[in-house]
Amino acid sequence: MSADTNHQLPPDGDSPDDLQTLAGQYVLGTQDAAERRAIEERLPQDAALRAAVDAWEQRLQPLTTLAPPQEPSTGLWPRITASLWPAAEPQRAAAAVPRRWWHWDSLALWRGLAGSGFAAAAVLAGVLVLGPAPAPGPARYFVVLAAPQSQAPGWLVQAQAADRLRLVPLGTDVVPAEKSLQFWTKADGWSAPVSLGLVKPGEAIEVPVDKLPPLQPNQLFELTLEPAGGSPIGKPTGPIQFIGRAVQI
Amino acid sequence: MPPAASVTDDNFDHALALAACARGDRHALQRIYEQESRYLLGVAMRIVRSRAAAEDVLHDAFVAIWSKAHSFDAARGAARGWIYSIVRHAALNRVRSSARESTLDEPTAAAYEASAAMAAWQEEGDALDRQAQLGRLGQCLEGLEPQRRECLLHAYVDGCSHSEIAARVQAPLGTVKAWIQRGLRALRECMQ
Repeated sequence: MSADTNHQLPPDGDSPDDLQTLAGQYVLGTQDAAERRAIEERLPQDAALRAAVDAWEQRLQPLTTLAPPQEPSTGLWPRITASLWPAAEPQRAAAAVPRRWWHWDSLALWRGLAGSGFAAAAVLAGVLVLGPAPAPGPARYFVVLAAPQSQAPGWLVQAQAADRLRLVPLGTDVVPAEKSLQFWTKADGWSAPVSLGLVKPGEAIEVPVDKLPPLQPNQLFELTLEPAGGSPIGKPTGPIQFIGRAVQI
Repeated sequence: MPPAASVTDDNFDHALALAACARGDRHALQRIYEQESRYLLGVAMRIVRSRAAAEDVLHDAFVAIWSKAHSFDAARGAARGWIYSIVRHAALNRVRSSARESTLDEPTAAAYEASAAMAAWQEEGDALDRQAQLGRLGQCLEGLEPQRRECLLHAYVDGCSHSEIAARVQAPLGTVKAWIQRGLRALRECMQ
Protein backbone atom coordinates (compact mmCIF):
# COMPACT_ATOMS: atom_id res chain seq x y z
CA MET A 1 0.00 0.00 0.00
CA SER A 2 1.44 3.34 -1.00
CA ALA A 3 2.29 5.85 1.64
CA ASP A 4 0.58 9.19 1.85
CA THR A 5 1.76 10.65 -1.46
CA ASN A 6 -0.78 13.43 -1.59
CA HIS A 7 -2.34 12.45 -4.91
CA GLN A 8 -4.32 15.01 -6.78
CA LEU A 9 -7.94 14.07 -6.16
CA PRO A 10 -9.78 13.38 -9.39
CA PRO A 11 -12.16 16.08 -10.64
CA ASP A 12 -15.85 15.40 -10.99
CA GLY A 13 -16.51 13.31 -14.02
CA ASP A 14 -16.89 9.75 -15.01
CA SER A 15 -13.43 8.27 -14.77
CA PRO A 16 -13.51 4.79 -13.26
CA ASP A 17 -11.79 6.16 -10.18
CA ASP A 18 -14.42 8.88 -9.69
CA LEU A 19 -17.16 6.34 -10.08
CA GLN A 20 -15.56 4.14 -7.46
CA THR A 21 -15.16 7.05 -5.07
CA LEU A 22 -18.73 8.18 -5.60
CA ALA A 23 -20.07 4.67 -5.12
CA GLY A 24 -17.87 4.07 -2.10
CA GLN A 25 -18.99 7.28 -0.44
CA TYR A 26 -22.61 6.47 -1.15
CA VAL A 27 -22.28 3.08 0.53
CA LEU A 28 -20.29 4.57 3.42
CA GLY A 29 -23.10 7.11 3.75
CA THR A 30 -21.00 10.25 4.14
CA GLN A 31 -22.82 12.42 1.61
CA ASP A 32 -25.60 14.86 2.38
CA ALA A 33 -29.24 14.27 1.48
CA ALA A 34 -29.05 16.01 -1.90
CA GLU A 35 -25.95 14.08 -2.97
CA ARG A 36 -27.53 10.82 -1.87
CA ARG A 37 -30.71 11.61 -3.77
CA ALA A 38 -28.73 12.47 -6.91
CA ILE A 39 -27.03 9.08 -6.79
CA GLU A 40 -30.26 7.22 -6.10
CA GLU A 41 -31.84 8.93 -9.10
CA ARG A 42 -28.87 8.01 -11.28
CA LEU A 43 -28.70 4.36 -10.24
CA PRO A 44 -31.58 2.99 -12.34
CA GLN A 45 -30.04 4.28 -15.58
CA ASP A 46 -26.35 3.91 -14.81
CA ALA A 47 -25.20 0.31 -14.92
CA ALA A 48 -21.56 1.16 -14.19
CA LEU A 49 -22.47 3.11 -11.06
CA ARG A 50 -24.83 0.35 -10.00
CA ALA A 51 -22.09 -2.25 -10.38
CA ALA A 52 -19.68 -0.08 -8.39
CA VAL A 53 -22.25 0.40 -5.60
CA ASP A 54 -23.03 -3.32 -5.52
CA ALA A 55 -19.33 -4.11 -5.22
CA TRP A 56 -18.91 -1.63 -2.35
CA GLU A 57 -21.97 -3.02 -0.57
CA GLN A 58 -20.39 -6.46 -0.71
CA ARG A 59 -16.95 -5.26 0.32
CA LEU A 60 -18.11 -3.36 3.38
CA GLN A 61 -21.02 -5.50 4.50
CA PRO A 62 -18.94 -7.45 7.08
CA LEU A 63 -18.70 -4.19 9.06
CA THR A 64 -22.37 -4.53 9.96
CA THR A 65 -21.22 -7.15 12.49
CA LEU A 66 -19.54 -4.36 14.51
CA ALA A 67 -22.95 -3.04 15.60
CA PRO A 68 -24.12 -4.86 18.73
CA PRO A 69 -27.50 -6.59 18.24
CA GLN A 70 -30.59 -4.92 19.73
CA GLU A 71 -33.74 -6.83 20.53
CA PRO A 72 -36.71 -5.17 18.80
CA SER A 73 -39.74 -4.36 20.93
CA THR A 74 -42.55 -6.89 20.70
CA GLY A 75 -44.77 -4.39 18.95
CA LEU A 76 -42.55 -3.94 15.94
CA TRP A 77 -43.50 -7.02 13.93
CA PRO A 78 -47.24 -6.44 14.43
CA ARG A 79 -46.70 -2.85 13.30
CA ILE A 80 -44.98 -4.06 10.13
CA THR A 81 -47.75 -6.55 9.33
CA ALA A 82 -50.42 -3.92 10.03
CA SER A 83 -48.76 -1.64 7.48
CA LEU A 84 -48.35 -4.36 4.89
CA TRP A 85 -51.56 -6.27 5.31
CA PRO A 86 -54.31 -4.22 6.95
CA ALA A 87 -56.56 -6.94 8.34
CA ALA A 88 -60.00 -6.29 6.89
CA GLU A 89 -59.16 -4.31 3.82
CA PRO A 90 -58.06 -6.89 1.24
CA GLN A 91 -61.16 -9.08 1.50
CA ARG A 92 -63.53 -6.14 1.44
CA ALA A 93 -61.79 -4.61 -1.54
CA ALA A 94 -61.78 -7.90 -3.39
CA ALA A 95 -65.48 -8.39 -2.77
CA ALA A 96 -66.28 -4.90 -3.98
CA VAL A 97 -64.67 -5.42 -7.37
CA PRO A 98 -66.98 -6.78 -10.00
CA ARG A 99 -65.71 -9.21 -12.61
CA ARG A 100 -62.82 -7.52 -14.30
CA TRP A 101 -63.65 -6.31 -17.73
CA TRP A 102 -60.11 -6.12 -19.10
CA HIS A 103 -58.96 -9.61 -19.87
CA TRP A 104 -55.41 -8.27 -19.55
CA ASP A 105 -56.20 -6.26 -16.47
CA SER A 106 -54.16 -8.36 -14.18
CA LEU A 107 -52.49 -6.84 -11.17
CA ALA A 108 -49.94 -9.62 -11.29
CA LEU A 109 -49.03 -8.46 -14.77
CA TRP A 110 -48.64 -4.85 -13.69
CA ARG A 111 -46.83 -5.76 -10.52
CA GLY A 112 -44.44 -7.79 -12.62
CA LEU A 113 -43.91 -4.82 -14.86
CA ALA A 114 -43.38 -2.57 -11.89
CA GLY A 115 -40.15 -4.48 -11.38
CA SER A 116 -38.99 -4.05 -14.94
CA GLY A 117 -39.46 -0.31 -15.15
CA PHE A 118 -41.75 2.15 -16.78
CA ALA A 119 -40.44 1.69 -20.30
CA ALA A 120 -41.59 -1.92 -20.44
CA ALA A 121 -44.89 -0.99 -18.85
CA ALA A 122 -45.45 1.82 -21.30
CA VAL A 123 -44.59 -0.37 -24.28
CA LEU A 124 -46.95 -3.06 -23.11
CA ALA A 125 -49.64 -0.51 -22.42
CA GLY A 126 -49.27 0.70 -26.00
CA VAL A 127 -49.49 -2.82 -27.38
CA LEU A 128 -52.52 -3.61 -25.27
CA VAL A 129 -54.27 -0.42 -26.17
CA LEU A 130 -53.77 -1.13 -29.85
CA GLY A 131 -54.50 -4.81 -29.46
CA PRO A 132 -57.99 -5.70 -28.31
CA ALA A 133 -61.00 -4.31 -30.10
CA PRO A 134 -62.65 -1.56 -28.03
CA ALA A 135 -65.58 -2.80 -26.03
CA PRO A 136 -68.91 -1.12 -26.71
CA GLY A 137 -70.18 1.40 -24.22
CA PRO A 138 -68.66 4.49 -22.64
CA ALA A 139 -65.00 5.28 -23.14
CA ARG A 140 -62.72 3.42 -20.75
CA TYR A 141 -59.38 4.54 -19.48
CA PHE A 142 -56.46 3.44 -17.47
CA VAL A 143 -53.48 5.29 -16.08
CA VAL A 144 -50.11 3.99 -14.98
CA LEU A 145 -48.80 6.25 -12.21
CA ALA A 146 -45.02 6.21 -12.14
CA ALA A 147 -42.45 7.76 -9.83
CA PRO A 148 -41.18 10.92 -11.54
CA GLN A 149 -37.51 10.11 -10.95
CA SER A 150 -37.18 6.37 -11.37
CA GLN A 151 -40.19 6.01 -13.68
CA ALA A 152 -41.03 2.91 -11.71
CA PRO A 153 -44.77 2.20 -11.94
CA GLY A 154 -46.33 2.48 -8.50
CA TRP A 155 -50.09 2.62 -8.95
CA LEU A 156 -52.68 1.79 -11.55
CA VAL A 157 -55.86 3.81 -12.06
CA GLN A 158 -58.70 1.81 -13.57
CA ALA A 159 -61.74 3.64 -14.85
CA GLN A 160 -64.13 0.75 -14.47
CA ALA A 161 -67.31 2.72 -14.87
CA ALA A 162 -68.28 6.25 -15.68
CA ASP A 163 -68.97 7.15 -12.07
CA ARG A 164 -65.95 5.81 -10.26
CA LEU A 165 -62.23 5.18 -10.44
CA ARG A 166 -60.27 2.47 -8.79
CA LEU A 167 -56.72 3.19 -7.65
CA VAL A 168 -54.66 0.05 -7.13
CA PRO A 169 -51.17 -0.15 -5.64
CA LEU A 170 -48.52 -2.11 -7.51
CA GLY A 171 -46.25 -2.17 -4.50
CA THR A 172 -46.21 -0.76 -1.02
CA ASP A 173 -44.92 2.76 -0.66
CA VAL A 174 -43.69 4.13 2.57
CA VAL A 175 -45.15 7.40 3.73
CA PRO A 176 -43.63 9.23 6.70
CA ALA A 177 -45.83 9.15 9.79
CA GLU A 178 -46.67 12.84 9.73
CA LYS A 179 -47.55 12.84 6.01
CA SER A 180 -50.46 11.75 3.84
CA LEU A 181 -50.58 10.62 0.25
CA GLN A 182 -53.19 12.64 -1.67
CA PHE A 183 -54.71 11.72 -5.05
CA TRP A 184 -55.39 14.45 -7.63
CA THR A 185 -56.59 14.79 -11.17
CA LYS A 186 -56.53 17.59 -13.70
CA ALA A 187 -57.84 17.57 -17.25
CA ASP A 188 -56.65 19.95 -19.93
CA GLY A 189 -58.44 23.23 -19.45
CA TRP A 190 -58.96 22.89 -15.70
CA SER A 191 -57.33 25.69 -13.78
CA ALA A 192 -56.11 23.48 -10.92
CA PRO A 193 -56.01 19.84 -9.87
CA VAL A 194 -59.01 18.48 -8.01
CA SER A 195 -58.49 16.29 -4.96
CA LEU A 196 -59.76 12.74 -5.18
CA GLY A 197 -58.99 12.12 -1.54
CA LEU A 198 -56.32 10.58 0.64
CA VAL A 199 -54.68 7.28 -0.13
CA LYS A 200 -53.08 4.78 2.20
CA PRO A 201 -49.89 3.18 0.90
CA GLY A 202 -50.50 -0.30 -0.42
CA GLU A 203 -54.29 -0.05 -0.24
CA ALA A 204 -56.66 0.00 -3.17
CA ILE A 205 -59.42 2.60 -3.07
CA GLU A 206 -62.48 3.37 -5.13
CA VAL A 207 -63.20 7.01 -5.78
CA PRO A 208 -66.60 8.29 -6.93
CA VAL A 209 -66.13 10.71 -9.80
CA ASP A 210 -69.77 11.35 -10.67
CA LYS A 211 -69.34 15.00 -9.62
CA LEU A 212 -66.52 15.48 -12.12
CA PRO A 213 -66.69 15.98 -15.88
CA PRO A 214 -66.18 12.76 -17.87
CA LEU A 215 -62.62 11.55 -18.09
CA GLN A 216 -60.63 12.87 -21.03
CA PRO A 217 -57.75 11.33 -22.89
CA ASN A 218 -54.45 12.52 -21.47
CA GLN A 219 -56.08 13.65 -18.20
CA LEU A 220 -53.43 14.01 -15.51
CA PHE A 221 -53.45 11.95 -12.31
CA GLU A 222 -50.93 12.28 -9.51
CA LEU A 223 -50.21 11.35 -5.93
CA THR A 224 -48.47 13.97 -3.82
CA LEU A 225 -47.01 13.89 -0.36
CA GLU A 226 -49.00 16.29 1.81
CA PRO A 227 -49.24 17.15 5.50
CA ALA A 228 -51.17 14.60 7.52
CA GLY A 229 -54.86 14.91 6.68
CA GLY A 230 -54.21 16.35 3.24
CA SER A 231 -53.26 19.63 1.65
CA PRO A 232 -54.46 22.55 3.77
CA ILE A 233 -55.17 24.72 0.72
CA GLY A 234 -57.02 22.27 -1.52
CA LYS A 235 -54.21 22.24 -4.06
CA PRO A 236 -51.09 20.07 -4.18
CA THR A 237 -48.34 21.50 -1.98
CA GLY A 238 -45.93 18.61 -1.61
CA PRO A 239 -43.65 16.65 -3.93
CA ILE A 240 -45.19 14.44 -6.61
CA GLN A 241 -44.71 10.79 -5.70
CA PHE A 242 -46.43 9.25 -8.74
CA ILE A 243 -47.82 10.77 -11.90
CA GLY A 244 -49.41 9.60 -15.13
CA ARG A 245 -51.91 10.46 -17.85
CA ALA A 246 -55.07 8.68 -18.87
CA VAL A 247 -54.93 6.40 -21.87
CA GLN A 248 -58.16 5.46 -23.59
CA ILE A 249 -58.68 1.80 -24.32
CA MET B 1 -36.84 -31.60 23.77
CA PRO B 2 -34.23 -28.88 24.28
CA PRO B 3 -35.46 -25.34 23.79
CA ALA B 4 -34.25 -23.56 20.70
CA ALA B 5 -31.10 -21.81 21.85
CA SER B 6 -31.50 -19.11 19.27
CA VAL B 7 -33.71 -18.36 16.33
CA THR B 8 -30.63 -17.44 14.37
CA ASP B 9 -29.68 -20.09 11.90
CA ASP B 10 -26.39 -19.92 10.05
CA ASN B 11 -27.88 -21.96 7.25
CA PHE B 12 -30.81 -19.62 6.72
CA ASP B 13 -31.31 -19.18 3.01
CA HIS B 14 -31.99 -15.47 2.52
CA ALA B 15 -32.32 -15.74 -1.25
CA LEU B 16 -34.94 -18.45 -0.91
CA ALA B 17 -36.85 -16.36 1.62
CA LEU B 18 -36.78 -13.30 -0.66
CA ALA B 19 -38.01 -15.39 -3.57
CA ALA B 20 -40.88 -16.59 -1.38
CA CYS B 21 -41.67 -12.97 -0.41
CA ALA B 22 -41.80 -12.09 -4.09
CA ARG B 23 -44.41 -14.83 -4.52
CA GLY B 24 -46.47 -13.33 -1.72
CA ASP B 25 -45.48 -15.71 1.08
CA ARG B 26 -45.94 -13.63 4.24
CA HIS B 27 -44.31 -16.26 6.43
CA ALA B 28 -41.10 -15.83 4.46
CA LEU B 29 -40.92 -12.18 5.51
CA GLN B 30 -41.55 -13.24 9.11
CA ARG B 31 -38.72 -15.76 8.88
CA ILE B 32 -36.37 -13.02 7.68
CA TYR B 33 -37.54 -10.86 10.57
CA GLU B 34 -36.97 -13.62 13.11
CA GLN B 35 -33.57 -14.34 11.67
CA GLU B 36 -32.23 -10.82 11.23
CA SER B 37 -34.28 -8.19 13.08
CA ARG B 38 -32.03 -7.91 16.17
CA TYR B 39 -28.93 -7.48 14.01
CA LEU B 40 -30.65 -5.08 11.65
CA LEU B 41 -31.97 -3.06 14.58
CA GLY B 42 -28.43 -2.92 15.96
CA VAL B 43 -27.14 -1.60 12.64
CA ALA B 44 -29.93 0.99 12.43
CA MET B 45 -29.50 2.13 16.04
CA ARG B 46 -25.83 2.89 15.56
CA ILE B 47 -26.76 5.14 12.66
CA VAL B 48 -29.93 6.87 13.91
CA ARG B 49 -28.99 6.73 17.63
CA SER B 50 -32.44 6.29 19.07
CA ARG B 51 -34.46 3.15 19.57
CA ALA B 52 -37.72 4.72 18.41
CA ALA B 53 -36.14 6.08 15.23
CA ALA B 54 -34.35 2.78 14.60
CA GLU B 55 -37.62 0.86 14.93
CA ASP B 56 -39.22 3.29 12.48
CA VAL B 57 -36.35 2.58 10.10
CA LEU B 58 -36.78 -1.16 10.52
CA HIS B 59 -40.52 -0.87 9.93
CA ASP B 60 -40.00 1.07 6.72
CA ALA B 61 -37.21 -1.26 5.65
CA PHE B 62 -39.30 -4.40 6.10
CA VAL B 63 -42.14 -2.82 4.14
CA ALA B 64 -39.58 -2.05 1.43
CA ILE B 65 -38.09 -5.56 1.57
CA TRP B 66 -41.55 -7.01 1.01
CA SER B 67 -42.44 -4.68 -1.83
CA LYS B 68 -39.04 -4.87 -3.54
CA ALA B 69 -38.40 -8.59 -3.05
CA HIS B 70 -39.27 -9.24 -6.70
CA SER B 71 -36.44 -6.96 -7.78
CA PHE B 72 -33.75 -8.78 -5.83
CA ASP B 73 -31.21 -10.08 -8.30
CA ALA B 74 -28.77 -12.68 -7.00
CA ALA B 75 -26.37 -11.78 -9.81
CA ARG B 76 -25.91 -8.39 -8.13
CA GLY B 77 -24.94 -9.71 -4.72
CA ALA B 78 -25.97 -11.87 -1.82
CA ALA B 79 -29.50 -11.73 -0.47
CA ARG B 80 -28.40 -11.05 3.10
CA GLY B 81 -26.33 -8.08 1.96
CA TRP B 82 -29.28 -6.77 -0.04
CA ILE B 83 -31.43 -6.80 3.11
CA TYR B 84 -28.76 -5.04 5.17
CA SER B 85 -28.27 -2.44 2.45
CA ILE B 86 -31.96 -1.58 2.49
CA VAL B 87 -31.84 -1.04 6.25
CA ARG B 88 -28.60 0.95 6.19
CA HIS B 89 -29.75 3.25 3.40
CA ALA B 90 -33.13 3.76 5.06
CA ALA B 91 -31.29 4.74 8.25
CA LEU B 92 -28.82 6.97 6.38
CA ASN B 93 -31.56 8.72 4.41
CA ARG B 94 -33.42 9.33 7.65
CA VAL B 95 -30.49 10.94 9.45
CA ARG B 96 -29.38 12.91 6.41
CA SER B 97 -32.82 14.35 5.81
CA SER B 98 -33.38 15.17 9.47
CA ALA B 99 -31.86 18.01 11.41
CA ARG B 100 -29.21 15.88 13.06
CA GLU B 101 -26.47 17.68 11.17
CA SER B 102 -27.04 20.82 13.21
CA THR B 103 -27.45 19.17 16.60
CA LEU B 104 -24.35 17.07 16.32
CA ASP B 105 -22.02 19.99 16.62
CA GLU B 106 -22.59 19.69 20.32
CA PRO B 107 -19.35 18.53 21.88
CA THR B 108 -21.21 16.26 24.29
CA ALA B 109 -22.79 14.33 21.47
CA ALA B 110 -19.45 13.99 19.77
CA ALA B 111 -17.71 12.95 22.93
CA TYR B 112 -20.43 10.45 23.71
CA GLU B 113 -20.12 8.79 20.35
CA ALA B 114 -16.53 9.52 19.47
CA SER B 115 -14.96 6.28 20.49
CA ALA B 116 -17.83 4.04 19.47
CA ALA B 117 -16.44 2.78 16.20
CA MET B 118 -12.93 2.47 17.54
CA ALA B 119 -14.11 0.74 20.66
CA ALA B 120 -15.58 -2.01 18.58
CA TRP B 121 -12.38 -2.09 16.64
CA GLN B 122 -9.78 -1.88 19.36
CA GLU B 123 -11.33 -3.28 22.49
CA GLU B 124 -13.39 -6.20 21.31
CA GLY B 125 -11.15 -9.17 20.73
CA ASP B 126 -7.81 -9.31 19.08
CA ALA B 127 -6.76 -8.99 15.48
CA LEU B 128 -7.32 -12.67 14.81
CA ASP B 129 -10.90 -12.48 16.04
CA ARG B 130 -11.52 -9.50 13.83
CA GLN B 131 -10.10 -11.23 10.84
CA ALA B 132 -12.29 -14.22 11.47
CA GLN B 133 -15.26 -11.88 11.67
CA LEU B 134 -14.37 -9.48 8.88
CA GLY B 135 -12.28 -11.71 6.65
CA ARG B 136 -10.26 -10.01 3.97
CA LEU B 137 -11.88 -6.68 4.81
CA GLY B 138 -10.47 -6.92 8.33
CA GLN B 139 -6.96 -7.55 7.05
CA CYS B 140 -7.20 -4.66 4.62
CA LEU B 141 -8.54 -2.30 7.31
CA GLU B 142 -5.67 -3.31 9.57
CA GLY B 143 -3.32 -2.22 6.81
CA LEU B 144 -4.82 1.28 6.54
CA GLU B 145 -3.41 4.26 8.37
CA PRO B 146 -5.36 4.51 11.64
CA GLN B 147 -6.90 7.91 10.82
CA ARG B 148 -8.28 6.66 7.54
CA ARG B 149 -9.58 3.49 9.14
CA GLU B 150 -11.26 5.54 11.86
CA CYS B 151 -12.95 7.78 9.29
CA LEU B 152 -14.27 4.81 7.34
CA LEU B 153 -15.65 3.15 10.48
CA HIS B 154 -17.27 6.34 11.74
CA ALA B 155 -18.94 6.63 8.37
CA TYR B 156 -20.08 3.07 7.79
CA VAL B 157 -20.88 1.94 11.32
CA ASP B 158 -21.93 5.22 12.98
CA GLY B 159 -23.51 6.82 9.92
CA CYS B 160 -21.48 10.00 10.27
CA SER B 161 -21.40 12.60 7.53
CA HIS B 162 -18.13 14.17 6.39
CA SER B 163 -18.61 17.10 8.75
CA GLU B 164 -19.54 14.88 11.69
CA ILE B 165 -16.40 12.84 11.14
CA ALA B 166 -14.33 16.01 10.92
CA ALA B 167 -15.73 17.06 14.32
CA ARG B 168 -14.96 13.69 15.83
CA VAL B 169 -11.42 13.24 14.57
CA GLN B 170 -10.76 16.97 14.95
CA ALA B 171 -9.40 17.41 11.46
CA PRO B 172 -10.37 19.88 8.73
CA LEU B 173 -13.26 18.83 6.50
CA GLY B 174 -11.10 18.75 3.36
CA THR B 175 -8.58 16.52 5.06
CA VAL B 176 -11.26 14.13 6.18
CA LYS B 177 -12.69 13.93 2.67
CA ALA B 178 -9.23 13.19 1.29
CA TRP B 179 -8.58 10.54 3.96
CA ILE B 180 -11.85 8.85 3.10
CA GLN B 181 -11.22 8.90 -0.63
CA ARG B 182 -7.73 7.49 -0.19
CA GLY B 183 -8.93 4.99 2.37
CA LEU B 184 -11.58 3.76 -0.05
CA ARG B 185 -9.06 3.51 -2.86
CA ALA B 186 -6.59 1.60 -0.71
CA LEU B 187 -9.31 -0.77 0.49
CA ARG B 188 -10.42 -1.51 -3.02
CA GLU B 189 -6.88 -2.20 -4.17
CA CYS B 190 -6.26 -4.40 -1.16
CA MET B 191 -9.41 -6.40 -1.68
CA GLN B 192 -8.97 -7.00 -5.39
